[in-house]
Amino acid sequence: MSSASSTLIATVGILALQGAFAEHQTILQRLSIKRRVIVVLVRTAEDLAKCDALIIPGGESTTMAILARSAGLLEPLREFLRTKVVWGTCAGAILLSTSVENAKKGGQELLGGISVKIARNGWGSQVESFEAALEVEGLRDSSRPYTGVFIRAPVVLELTPSPLDPPIEIIARLSPQCLPRSHDLPQADIAAGSDPRTIVALRQGHHLLTTFHPELTDDNRFHEYFIQQCVLPSLA
Amino acid sequence: MTTPTGTSTPSISTPPVPHSVGNVSLSSVAPSRSKELRDGGSSASGTFGVKSGLAQMLKGGVIMDVVNPEQARIAEEAGACAVMALERVPADIRAEGGVARMSDPSMIKEIIEAVTIPVMAKVRIGHFVEAQILQAVGVDYIDESEVLTPADEEHHINKHAFKVPFVCGARNLGEALRRISEGAAFVRTKGEAGTGNVVEAVRHTRDVQSAIRQASVMNEEELYVFAKEIGAPYHLLKETARLKRLPVVNFAAGGIATPADAALMMQLGCDGVFVGSGIFKSGDPAKRAKAIVQAVTHYNNPKILAEISGDLGAAMVGLNIEPDMKGGRLANRGW
Repeated sequence: MSSASSTLIATVGILALQGAFAEHQTILQRLSIKRRVIVVLVRTAEDLAKCDALIIPGGESTTMAILARSAGLLEPLREFLRTKVVWGTCAGAILLSTSVENAKKGGQELLGGISVKIARNGWGSQVESFEAALEVEGLRDSSRPYTGVFIRAPVVLELTPSPLDPPIEIIARLSPQCLPRSHDLPQADIAAGSDPRTIVALRQGHHLLTTFHPELTDDNRFHEYFIQQCVLPSLA
Repeated sequence: MTTPTGTSTPSISTPPVPHSVGNVSLSSVAPSRSKELRDGGSSASGTFGVKSGLAQMLKGGVIMDVVNPEQARIAEEAGACAVMALERVPADIRAEGGVARMSDPSMIKEIIEAVTIPVMAKVRIGHFVEAQILQAVGVDYIDESEVLTPADEEHHINKHAFKVPFVCGARNLGEALRRISEGAAFVRTKGEAGTGNVVEAVRHTRDVQSAIRQASVMNEEELYVFAKEIGAPYHLLKETARLKRLPVVNFAAGGIATPADAALMMQLGCDGVFVGSGIFKSGDPAKRAKAIVQAVTHYNNPKILAEISGDLGAAMVGLNIEPDMKGGRLANRGW
């Protein structure tokens, strides 16, 4: 790392309309590199204008979209996504996708930004929520599994990048045994190890998407990864 | 499976977070309960981590009482983060009297079909078979609620035995910690349901906060005595004192009827609000619901609160809290 980039300070916004935004804030504030991160809770367009990067937390995607519309944040968020780094966890991942299944009746608003088709509540009701050990490429100490907490989590159904879109990089997959029984895909896909439903973390361009909740664990490594691999390089 | 299904309240290891009434620190979070899973392919469902985790996802949101799919859709469109399915809202239970029970499972299923947000439903205090039925129906959260007629005047449900998470009401810190010890993953401080009068919700929230502040400066010897006085398990009291907040998510409930009421409960330190009769007993439910949702997000911004509080139509008719009020004092149920 060059000396210039090691002195950068990033202003990281957390969308604080609804959901687990305080949990993200707590983890960012206990990182070993916390001196290089200024946290802003984003509720208005003015808050967003201060940020170099944004985290969209877990919560209810419909609630967040409705609140973003009434706060006049939808267009500023879409504009932000065009040039800056954004990480969506769970509900945030739904908002970052380009199309969604199991949307509320009458459809729901998305921000777009990552070329995936995603299904809400992929596993069904809360009784199906689970924790699973994940191997995540690029994390510090990556041989130690990372606990993914999946709560009424979405499922990636399909990667849909057009030739002009930045390539999609898969960061973590779930063991196929943990998959929901619905959304049956052809067996051939599964045998080839390319079942998109096992994808639980991915990057495309500036953006990071996780269908689970790194904000619900005591493990800082995912937030560290986001700051060091996504946010700081974008400022250098 | 490396983790047994919801058998105990796991130990908690997060640093203390600042918390105080009237000046709520936004970094205030209930601690992580997720356990590290040991071997590569393992997974576990129904853990305390995923139970309390769903409550954490509801934070900063409004959970609305609904009695049919149409109301559930109105709530979802207004931005509710979850709905509570029940047969009669508390104001009607109060007015009509009689024994109030779990709702018809087929009505709950219709509501689950109608919306994509989490659906909660109420069971009577101590009625663990109603809870088994609701778990089988596939609700996302069960409210063991004093609004229904209690089925057991001594025991609450052993909530550790279920995969579905529970929310319970509490008037004070001791009651809240007893419920958590029984397995509740989410606590709501009780107001007086069905009155449209926020005074009891404020009283009980302040009681809980005040007891937490007292506990937070006690030494170990004093904590043992305090645990005995308030009837709380010592280890949970100690954890609460260290965190300076309840160790699970805490919403306000009962008597919230206006956006200002909702913002008041948020500024007093609650993580979100339940609104029962306040929405569908008012003049313009869709508009009022949307305004309360915005009030919970922008609770610290009086300028936005002023904008959203206007032109909402009539609020529900409120009741004064009196010892001989119709339907009695619901908040006093729970042991």
